[in-house]
Amino acid sequence: MDLTHQLELFPGCSVTLLLFSHVKNAAALRKKAVEGSIEGALINPAMIVDPFQILVAANKAVHLHKIGKMKTRTLYAEIIFSLSPNNNISDAFKKFGISDSDTAVLVVLVVDREKTVNLEDIASQVEGQQVSLDELPQLTDTAKVKKMYKVTPQEEKIGTLLDSIVCRMSTKDVL
Amino acid sequence: MAAAETEAGGLRSGMAGAAGPAVDEAGAGAGAGAGAAAAVAGPAVDEAGAEAPAVDEAGAAEEAEAPPPPLPGLQLVQQGAEARVYRGLFLGRAAVAKLRIPKRYRHPALEERLSRRRTAQEARSLLRCRRAGISAPVVYFVDYVTNSIYLEDIVGAITVQDHINSVQQSGNDTSSLLTLAEKMGELLARMHDEDLIHGDLTTSNILLRPPTEKLDLVLIDFGLSFISGLPEDKGVDLYVLEKAFLSTHPDTETMFKALLKTYAATSKKSGPVIKRLDEVRLRGRKRSMIG
Repeated sequence: MDLTHQLELFPGCSVTLLLFSHVKNAAALRKKAVEGSIEGALINPAMIVDPFQILVAANKAVHLHKIGKMKTRTLYAEIIFSLSPNNNISDAFKKFGISDSDTAVLVVLVVDREKTVNLEDIASQVEGQQVSLDELPQLTDTAKVKKMYKVTPQEEKIGTLLDSIVCRMSTKDVL
Repeated sequence: MAAAETEAGGLRSGMAGAAGPAVDEAGAGAGAGAGAAAAVAGPAVDEAGAEAPAVDEAGAAEEAEAPPPPLPGLQLVQQGAEARVYRGLFLGRAAVAKLRIPKRYRHPALEERLSRRRTAQEARSLLRCRRAGISAPVVYFVDYVTNSIYLEDIVGAITVQDHINSVQQSGNDTSSLLTLAEKMGELLARMHDEDLIHGDLTTSNILLRPPTEKLDLVLIDFGLSFISGLPEDKGVDLYVLEKAFLSTHPDTETMFKALLKTYAATSKKSGPVIKRLDEVRLRGRKRSMIG
């Protein structure tokens, strides 16, 4: 159901993705996330085209966390920030974080070697149905994604939308 | 420096000879994680991968530079003057990891600055190419600590250099080479129209995506690239390619002529560039400066 991937560059660190649909308590979840009482990043699945996008963001966030150069205050906030193509933190939360009216939520957890993944804990807090990540493409709003990442038409010819997105995510701090 | 390695079978990479002066950098030096070199090879490399990873263990005690990244299925593809190139799986995808080799003869502050600038330029140029619709690998991750960059691996691609060599050796269908030259001219024209100068144009820095017959070109290795609108810089870029072309591949003058013709036709600003190219040609080594 969920997807877990070990970060190659950070042995022992693994990223788990959980997708929930028909979520009823998005507002409450968002509040908990802002307070910091949820051990996970809550992301709007409409802006995600592929789990690889999340992995790239998580990889960058963990890297910055390890060298102490995060732009935000927590690792989970950093993951959401890494998804954004620009350097505006509050904008990133607005576009990639969940809003009160969302009915689908993507939860991202990062665990180190010692800690075990507490999936039931998170799942119990979400009032919704956990679904397989294969359903993610159905929830993606491609037009919105293209607009957000400002994908040019000539770019679409040389690669997939995912390629364009990942490139922007990884090079946004050098430009 | 160690020569490039082939990918097949178990092999020892030539990293032992990497650092010219084989200094054991146990403590000092600007290189990242130098002391960890010995410890890295153990747990880091996943030996269960299908390909035989070619990581040099601490058998060579002189392995002083940054340890190879712990990617599954890691293999050393090439060691150039600037960086080591590895292939492996990154976040579940075939990727290329480019780790810059620290040059010990440089002053550490300079070394750090230069390395970082080159890495940043490479990342920036790759993004610029993508945005303009020019085929270049996707950047997956840039590490500014070790100045390494993780890119998309174009599986099954061959360099234009290898392609030309194989076509010439097989002795048939040299007309396809002219089409190839035209495609290259078109690609370069588009790149220069974006005011992007590659800086190291050679036939080994242009790849052909499989299937080869489609002549789908991909530009790689933007480490020496920069942004400039000057015809001088573009002319020099073309001159570098011309020199590399003619010296590596004999009897390809007609090919290069076709390349320039398509370049001139495709690029909107090609007039001054070609003019400059002619001037640069006169400037080269062993050329008389009279007239």
